[in-house]
Amino acid sequence: MHTELSYTELAALMERRAGVIVDPADLELQSDTPFADFGLDSLGLLGIVGALENEHGATIPADADACRTPRELLDVVNNVLKARA
Amino acid sequence: MTAKTTGRAAARQRRRTVITGMGVVAPTGVGADAYWKATEEGVSALGAVTREGCGGLPLAVAGEVTGFDPASLVEERFLVQTDRFSHFAMAAADMALRDAALDAASAGEYGIGVVTAAGSGGGEFGQRELQQLWGSGPRFVGPYQSIAWFYAASTGQISIRGGFKGPCGVVAADEAGGLDAFAHAARGIRGSTAAMVVGATEAPLAPYSIVCQLGYPELSLERDPLRAYLPFTDRACGFVPAEGGAMFVAEEETAAHERGVTARAVVAGHAATFTGSGDWAASREGLARAVRGALDEAGMAPEEVDVVFADALGVPAADRAEALALADALGRHAARVPVTAPKTGTGRAFCGAAALDVACAVLAMEHAVVPPTPNVTDVRDGLDLVTGRARPADLRTALVLSRGLLGSNSALLLRHGADARP
Repeated sequence: MHTELSYTELAALMERRAGVIVDPADLELQSDTPFADFGLDSLGLLGIVGALENEHGATIPADADACRTPRELLDVVNNVLKARA
Repeated sequence: MTAKTTGRAAARQRRRTVITGMGVVAPTGVGADAYWKATEEGVSALGAVTREGCGGLPLAVAGEVTGFDPASLVEERFLVQTDRFSHFAMAAADMALRDAALDAASAGEYGIGVVTAAGSGGGEFGQRELQQLWGSGPRFVGPYQSIAWFYAASTGQISIRGGFKGPCGVVAADEAGGLDAFAHAARGIRGSTAAMVVGATEAPLAPYSIVCQLGYPELSLERDPLRAYLPFTDRACGFVPAEGGAMFVAEEETAAHERGVTARAVVAGHAATFTGSGDWAASREGLARAVRGALDEAGMAPEEVDVVFADALGVPAADRAEALALADALGRHAARVPVTAPKTGTGRAFCGAAALDVACAVLAMEHAVVPPTPNVTDVRDGLDLVTGRARPADLRTALVLSRGLLGSNSALLLRHGADARP
């Protein structure tokens, strides 16, 4: 099982949970661009965090919902997943 | 000067509301042209309920929208984040805005508002998430549930999608709210708003939504589509539910003229009453008062009504009350004026049914034809119900009636677009 969230997985979640289609390579290249600029709103981010928690059986800190950019989210989520590994 | 012309002069001094764009999503056709062609020919789209998960339910016949491809009309994120009733609303609003050649850039971002009516909400989306709740647990419910299944969803999404920051609202007033929405739009336009996107669409054919309707004694459980919805006849056995509806662009008469767009109709008058549930006889007075109120607002006499789009519930007591209400409000003219109920060919899409009737009334005036009431023959209740085939007629004024199952009664008067100020 993957213990780290990749930009590819994040892009897939954005599409599945919020209908926001983004190229994983673009997401990585623009990892400091706010989610809002990709068309993802706060409900979409909330759904992605919820899906990650369900998938990994992990509790992700509440401030994950407040992450503004893909890089911030990956940092928060991967810290949790690494600590559990 | 007679009282009538004084009333009309007063009505003319107000900022009047005209309809300049229309978008239709109906069981009989997607797009106003396809819908009108089928409606004029008296086509019925009532048929077996085929939507997923509905097979075991006692409801056998409905008006399903089959010619609608959401993926080609609505962006991916709205497909994921919103319910089918909002997909209908967004697609119909697009058609109406195109028809009116209007967008936020041309009207200014605060120049356009949105008002929809809804009585069913996002049942399909809601059911999916409720199944997640009870099947997997609360952590598996997606956050878009918090907005997608509410009555206000379509107004919000149309506003966000089009960048419309004028007055926005939703009318939750039962089926008749589909007409009341036009009064709300006219109110926005009498203020300072240039244009309103207005109408109603519904998608109440998910299993959850159908189960909610099974408690209505007025619901027809007849299995033969040709016999399931026969208002104003001895064989009336209730109404057939449907999905779909229509969206419009309504705008201030002078502004529309200055923009160089044609007024397709004038919103001349509206009134609404509430007589409570479970007593269809009481709707007689409620509906009659609504008709009189709409005539008063328009400054018009009963004899000026050229066609009536009936509520036509298909329940004998309700049909009788409607016929009597017309006699009360229109006097002897009630027996002469052509009455039609094209919704017997589509079913009743709750608030969307009233919006569809508005679309039909506008199209009927434009084509100078009263479309027929599909499947209905042997009419009683003393009305001149147009059945069989369409009837040519010079139509300057159309009266649209709607009642909700829980007691709301509304009347909307529309005038031919040529009545708009030149």
